[in-house]
Amino acid sequence: MSKVNIGTVIKAFCMLFAIFAISGCSDTSSTGSSAGSEDVVKIWHWMTDRQEAFEKLTEQYYKETGVKVVFETYAPSDVYKNKITAAASGHLLPDIFNPQSDKKELASYIKAGYIADLTDAMNDGWKDVFFEKSLIENSFEEGNEWGVKPGIYGVPLDVSSLMIYYNKDLFKQAGLDPENPPVTWAEFIEAGKKLREAGIQPFVSGFGEAWLIGAFAASYEWSLLGKQGIIDTIDGKIPYTDSRWLKVFKLFEEMKDNKMFASGIVTMVNKDAERTFATGRAAMTFNGSWGINVYKSMNSSLNYGIMYPPSLPDAQYPLLVFGGDGSSMFVNGESPRKDKAIAFLKWFTQRPQQSFLAENTLNIPSNKESAQDLPEVLQEFSKSITRTFDSLPKLEAWQVTNYINLNLQSVIIGEKDPVRAVNEVQGEKERQMKK
Amino acid sequence: MITATPKEKTFNMLFILPALALFLVFNLYPLLRTIQLSFYQWNGIDKDMVFIGFAQYKHIIFHNPAFWKSMLNAAYITLLCLTLQNGLALLLAILVNRQIRGENVYRVIFFLPPVLSGIVVGLIWKFIYDGNFGILNTCLAAIGFDQFKDFAWLSEIKTALSSVAVVHMWKGFGYGFIILLAGLQTIPNELYEAAEVDGADKWQQFVNITIPSMIPVFTLVTILTILGAMQIFDLIYSMTQGGPAGHTDVPITKIYQFMNNGEFGYSTAMAVIFGMVLLIVSILQLYTSKKFNK
Repeated sequence: MSKVNIGTVIKAFCMLFAIFAISGCSDTSSTGSSAGSEDVVKIWHWMTDRQEAFEKLTEQYYKETGVKVVFETYAPSDVYKNKITAAASGHLLPDIFNPQSDKKELASYIKAGYIADLTDAMNDGWKDVFFEKSLIENSFEEGNEWGVKPGIYGVPLDVSSLMIYYNKDLFKQAGLDPENPPVTWAEFIEAGKKLREAGIQPFVSGFGEAWLIGAFAASYEWSLLGKQGIIDTIDGKIPYTDSRWLKVFKLFEEMKDNKMFASGIVTMVNKDAERTFATGRAAMTFNGSWGINVYKSMNSSLNYGIMYPPSLPDAQYPLLVFGGDGSSMFVNGESPRKDKAIAFLKWFTQRPQQSFLAENTLNIPSNKESAQDLPEVLQEFSKSITRTFDSLPKLEAWQVTNYINLNLQSVIIGEKDPVRAVNEVQGEKERQMKK
Repeated sequence: MITATPKEKTFNMLFILPALALFLVFNLYPLLRTIQLSFYQWNGIDKDMVFIGFAQYKHIIFHNPAFWKSMLNAAYITLLCLTLQNGLALLLAILVNRQIRGENVYRVIFFLPPVLSGIVVGLIWKFIYDGNFGILNTCLAAIGFDQFKDFAWLSEIKTALSSVAVVHMWKGFGYGFIILLAGLQTIPNELYEAAEVDGADKWQQFVNITIPSMIPVFTLVTILTILGAMQIFDLIYSMTQGGPAGHTDVPITKIYQFMNNGEFGYSTAMAVIFGMVLLIVSILQLYTSKKFNK
């Protein structure tokens, strides 16, 4: 056996090390896209159900412009979010992405240079094609508390809102008028009682997901406190023990007392809630406009209608719904293909492409002209976009929001009464204010 | 005795370099970086990190009751696993060790659940427990327990954590079973034969031969069970997401939640505290087993 030379082994090891080191230290800015594909605009998204439609449009775009665009899917959305965070740390973001963050975190992305300012491009007439509300969450005003340069930073691909779907057949079965769903809270509770008497679970939603229970409660928070009341609560001027906050928790207690909730609602994710509603095991569900596509795929013969969350007669403010931009895209501020990315997004949000997406994915397009081409049920949702919440200039600490949602769950399962729940939320608020 | 020359020693050392490099990059660096981050306020995106010393540790220890409640939840699952899961694993290992027919089939069957993906197992059991569609309620109703119709096992405070623990035990007992079976097979038969000659019955043989011989194996299984149960995540994530109202939250779900909300510094501080707790428990366990061995 020939003797191995130590020098050769060391050289080989050094070479290997150098190869890894060089590849690791290469310029990877915006690499989600750069690795050997200079002309490819890369987009990361999480909307698996739209991949086919996206690909058809990118093929068309390639034929028209010669620019190749690739949509890569990473789902579910929390996995996607983690991937984006990790990619940002390593300067490996693709050309177009969505940080899946609240405004505070979005501000961090912008200030770190990961997101490009699209104001100039938008002011060139582009922003006029969108629903106004769809741009709010992607825009920063003068003097915003996060210190971000005022402007528009994101491009809405679609808009969405959350409403109540109701099963017309089950309504009929319980002796309710399917063409006149409940409008007031009292009618809603009364309908729930009749449904329960008929052996039907009245209401289901993915309340195991914090944001969904929060979105349902938010309609009543806004209705009882108004925008300024919510801002004052965030500032600590109105405590969570205030009678209006207590009323929000009492609404959930009333629903619980009247056996409105479907079995297992507090640990139910939205997908399970969608299945429960689609299979006729619950008569009403609180869900987003994307549900239309979901229910179509789960049960195409489902006979349902749409209604607003029931209003409170004693509320000081009108009832608004959770919604606005559905999914937005942001251009990587470090990308060498920034201009190509913006050009693609401009093309992508034009009426023909948006109408194609609406038709194929049953989502409400962000382009308000395309919204005119929608089927009736989507039109209902489309109208509600004007009744969504305004953007808040500041946000509640996420820990407090999380505490609100957990305590709403506690009220639903009868662990706490509303008084105890609001006291505990206030306790967390005080802890966060001291932090 | 032939001793290696310095040149040969250097040459030999080169062979551990790849493994050392992997260890440094994928184990040591992340560990040190985690500890470092725990002293900073950082959201994972900002280019600047703010050094705040032990402030996050102080907050977790004195002002974060939810984290300690999640620790208790994990401890409850661990306790069930240490007793029921390991008890069952030992019982089955003893039965299979008696050279019964189809011994290998049992081994495969019992070892199947541990190799399945936690998320998949969680989703399947979620269907089983489901109040609306679940097989469990259907079966219970079929044998006369009508009160369980529509009963949501994962949404009731009294049953949620135990229901998840049952799944964890179902999924995990196969590991303990294989290790315990391997341990039982290392005990020389001569010991049992000699005991039989001396008139010892089966129970006496079990208490005086099997248990003392198995103490190192019990130690290993116990430590693995504690580490596995305390670090439970995938089942909770897929079955309850920590609900109802945080009653099935465990330390890893809390760490994940904080990290997902851009609290990188805080969540790494939680991870360090959690790691220290596990380290202390493991050291205590090793110390105790050494005492027993003596």
